Amino acid sequence: MGKYPIAEDELMTPGHLACQGCGATQAMRYALKALGQKTIVVMPACCWSVIDGPFPHTSLKVPIFHTAFETAGSVASGVKAGLEMRGDSETTVLAWAGDGGTFDIGLQALSGAAERNEDIVYCCYDNEAYMNTGIQRSSATPPGAWTTTTPRGDRKRRPKKKIIEILAAHGIPYIATASVAYPNDLIAKFQKAKGIRGTKFIHVFAPCPTGWKSAPELTVKLARLAVESRLFPLLEVENGHYKLNKDIPQKPVREYLSLQGRFSDMTEEEIQRLERDIDEFWQSLLIKENSGGLLPGITS
Amino acid sequence: MSDQKKTFRDEKEMPLSAVSATDMRWNKTGSWRNVKPYYDPKTSPCIAGCPAGENIQGYIELAKGERYEEAVRLIWQNNPFPAVCGRVCYHPCMDNCMRKEFDGSVFIPAIERFLGDYAIEQKLKEELPKERFDDKIAIVGGGPAGLSCAYFLAKRGYPVTIFEAKGNLGGVLRYGIPEYRLPKDVLDAEIERIVDLGIDVKTNTFVGKDITMEDLAEYSAYFIGVGLQRSRRLGLENEEANGVMAGLEFLEAMNSGKPVEIGKRVVVVGGGNTAMDVARSALRMGAEVTVLYRRTRAEMPAIEDEVEEAIEEGVTIRFLATPVGIITSNGNLKEIKCQEMQLGEPDESGRRRPIPKEGAYFALKTDSLLVAAGEMPDAECFQSVVSLNYGLIVADEYGRTSHEKVFAGGDIVSGAATVVNAVARGRGAAELIATEIQGGIFNPKTEKKVVAIADVNTAYFLHKRRATMPRSEGTHGNNRFAEVNLGLTCEEVQEELKRCYSCGVCDGCDNCWVFCPDVAIQREEGVYTIDYDFCKGCLICVQECPRGCLSVESEGK
Ligand SMILES: Cc1cc2nc3c(=O)[nH]c(=O)nc-3n(C[C@H](O)[C@H](O)[C@H](O)COP(=O)(O)OP(=O)(O)OC[C@H]3O[C@@H](n4cnc5c(N)ncnc54)[C@H](O)[C@@H]3O)c2cc1C
Ligand SMILES: Cc1ncc(C[n+]2csc(CCOP(=O)(O)OP(=O)(O)O)c2C)c(N)n1
Ligand SMILES: [Mg+2]
Repeated sequence: MGKYPIAEDELMTPGHLACQGCGATQAMRYALKALGQKTIVVMPACCWSVIDGPFPHTSLKVPIFHTAFETAGSVASGVKAGLEMRGDSETTVLAWAGDGGTFDIGLQALSGAAERNEDIVYCCYDNEAYMNTGIQRSSATPPGAWTTTTPRGDRKRRPKKKIIEILAAHGIPYIATASVAYPNDLIAKFQKAKGIRGTKFIHVFAPCPTGWKSAPELTVKLARLAVESRLFPLLEVENGHYKLNKDIPQKPVREYLSLQGRFSDMTEEEIQRLERDIDEFWQSLLIKENSGGLLPGITS
Repeated sequence: MSDQKKTFRDEKEMPLSAVSATDMRWNKTGSWRNVKPYYDPKTSPCIAGCPAGENIQGYIELAKGERYEEAVRLIWQNNPFPAVCGRVCYHPCMDNCMRKEFDGSVFIPAIERFLGDYAIEQKLKEELPKERFDDKIAIVGGGPAGLSCAYFLAKRGYPVTIFEAKGNLGGVLRYGIPEYRLPKDVLDAEIERIVDLGIDVKTNTFVGKDITMEDLAEYSAYFIGVGLQRSRRLGLENEEANGVMAGLEFLEAMNSGKPVEIGKRVVVVGGGNTAMDVARSALRMGAEVTVLYRRTRAEMPAIEDEVEEAIEEGVTIRFLATPVGIITSNGNLKEIKCQEMQLGEPDESGRRRPIPKEGAYFALKTDSLLVAAGEMPDAECFQSVVSLNYGLIVADEYGRTSHEKVFAGGDIVSGAATVVNAVARGRGAAELIATEIQGGIFNPKTEKKVVAIADVNTAYFLHKRRATMPRSEGTHGNNRFAEVNLGLTCEEVQEELKRCYSCGVCDGCDNCWVFCPDVAIQREEGVYTIDYDFCKGCLICVQECPRGCLSVESEGK
């Protein structure tokens, strides 16, 4: 491990309102270091719209456009169109939405933008529930997890929605997953996205100590374990071609589960099932990687 | 940007649309904290494990930058014998290494040896002391303890005289440990560098016979480091027979180039370093060697590596066996009667006591019996000045004896111990002596906290195999007495150095700075500081520090 090739400039200031050990905050800090000063953030309702601070304050040194919960995809498209009308093709438009705003309520706006191949970077920071409003389940919440709407005795049973596959089906030029435990990788992916025209979708895994009932200091460790256990594989889909990061040695998922209160009711059977799901998902990704992509890519 | 919260007195002051005017720095989130991380560099576990307290992490960092001279000078601050100890030390540092359970400890002695040899090749000299004092100090015994004490006193500017019974300095290093483990030219070079500090050496001077302590009245202080010079006897009938010899005597003859006859079949008794050295030397003289040891391998006091090498070279070790009779004819050894043993209850050393297996005997025909069943003190001549206990001199960790001007250390205080122990005790006594002479109060340094395994984050350790040291051809060719372990090349050393994670000591890896969600860690020229105005106390910095350089205290302390 060497020093991190990370920009010195901070585009996020201290004093923000995130909870202790917030992964979403790390994600923003890295993303802005990658994209630089010439960035406009479009932000639907989510934790981050609170973290940023109350009017007239902001903890970002780039403009943020706060918008309605379901609109990140369409508003980002509009902001980009406006910039282009003014002859600015340089500024990156970054849609920054939670998993609720992406997997659930914002899915149609995102799908529309992706279908039009709008020239935006869409980042979903995934803390696996509606955290801002008090830990309600989303379609990104993993099976077995406790939330306030999937309480003890009635925990979530449905699988986590495979958002990458949905985006891949749109045939956009660049899709990636990233994790706050691997800042170099995350930053490299945002930088790559910046250089590509068309819709770029980056799915960032961002632990939430408050919602996951985990110790704040474990945020990076949990993010790392999620990758190591292959629960959240690091991958890229470029023009339909899957590329899986296979360099990280696999670890059992149990340690990851055991460090979080939200999984404390999981039974042995549920854990074994999760292990099978992990393996199957990994195998399916390998098949996609080897087949050179199931869908024809587009080069715009 | 400002530290002020922006408030509007009425709507006329407000902008037409909701545009932010300033940042969030007015919001001192430090007040949310209930635990507080702080930078707290610690002692690396390897350093804590080294009896001489060598700054292992420090010299490794210097060596990584190819600053070999500075690195070896850093070792000399604690141990003037890196080339010797890099070869013969039992390296407790490696037992403490955080990589031990991960992918094998860093090969620290190989690095130390490389640096020691570097100093020899480059003919590096000691820096001479800036101050000079008049108080003369007498050192009795020129083994590692005496030489170390002399070295550290001479470095401080005291005139030192070493009185050594034998013809040459070095003690066990010269007359015990064989050439194939510690080449004499290496030993000579390190001793020469030490003596060149201006140390006066009187060899062939046995204190207590050739001169007495009373003859040395002109000295202000004395250090006794006479080691253990007598071989323990088996106490069997016929032990005087031709063919029976004390292990130390055999090694001394070998090391001094005196001819010895041992014949074809050799039996060695004992399980310590002496037994192994005797056995391997006999092997090199072409003998078939059987070692008798009364317990099992786990209880052997010899250094692990030496036992391994002895077995690899072809020494047979018969565990759980002890000699009980020496059968002779015409005063010549013929056969040894042996008793089989078994392990009973643990004794005071914690090792299980060997007890005879009733009726289980066997006989070994042999030409020589070399007895290496332990060494004993021979310090009666100091009885009138210092207190003895079971023949050993009574002294504390810093060498203080019952006599205010007499200090002692090494094997004559500890009993059979190690080279690095002798070096450490010699240095400790030198510090105490210098302080006492100056009339100061002796305050040994208090150690920093040592890094625990729970403090380091092995997620950042990359798997990398330890270097293996090449060995010479073996025990039979022309070079059979040449050094066995050949050392690492500069390139191999550089690769091995990369395996060190400098536990407890910040190396500027940036993890704390990178992972802080609150942008509360500042980095300036490789130095990090925490901005407690904003640190919320999430402790990610503590958790993600690979080397355990941060600690935590509860807020409000
Ligand atoms: C064969 C053998 C192999 C060993 N191998 C290892 C090893 O690989 N690694 C390890 O760490 N340890 C090893 N040891 C142990 C280690 O060598 C000793 O612990 C160490 O040498 C003790 O140092 P010392 O200075 O106290 O005594 P010594 O090395 O015994 O030196 C004492 C010196 O004092 C002199 N002397 C004695 N009496 C007088 C007197 N009255 N007047 C003047 N001079 C006197 C002696 O001649 C001698 O030179 C080994 C020991 C033996 C015997
Ligand atoms: C149409 C609409 N419905 C509900 C809300 C309330 N609301 C604000 S944020 C949020 C949850 C956001 O969850 P997610 O997108 O996962 O982001 P997180 O808070 O977890 O960061 C909800 C339900 C809203 N603002 N608008
Ligand atoms: Mg969420």
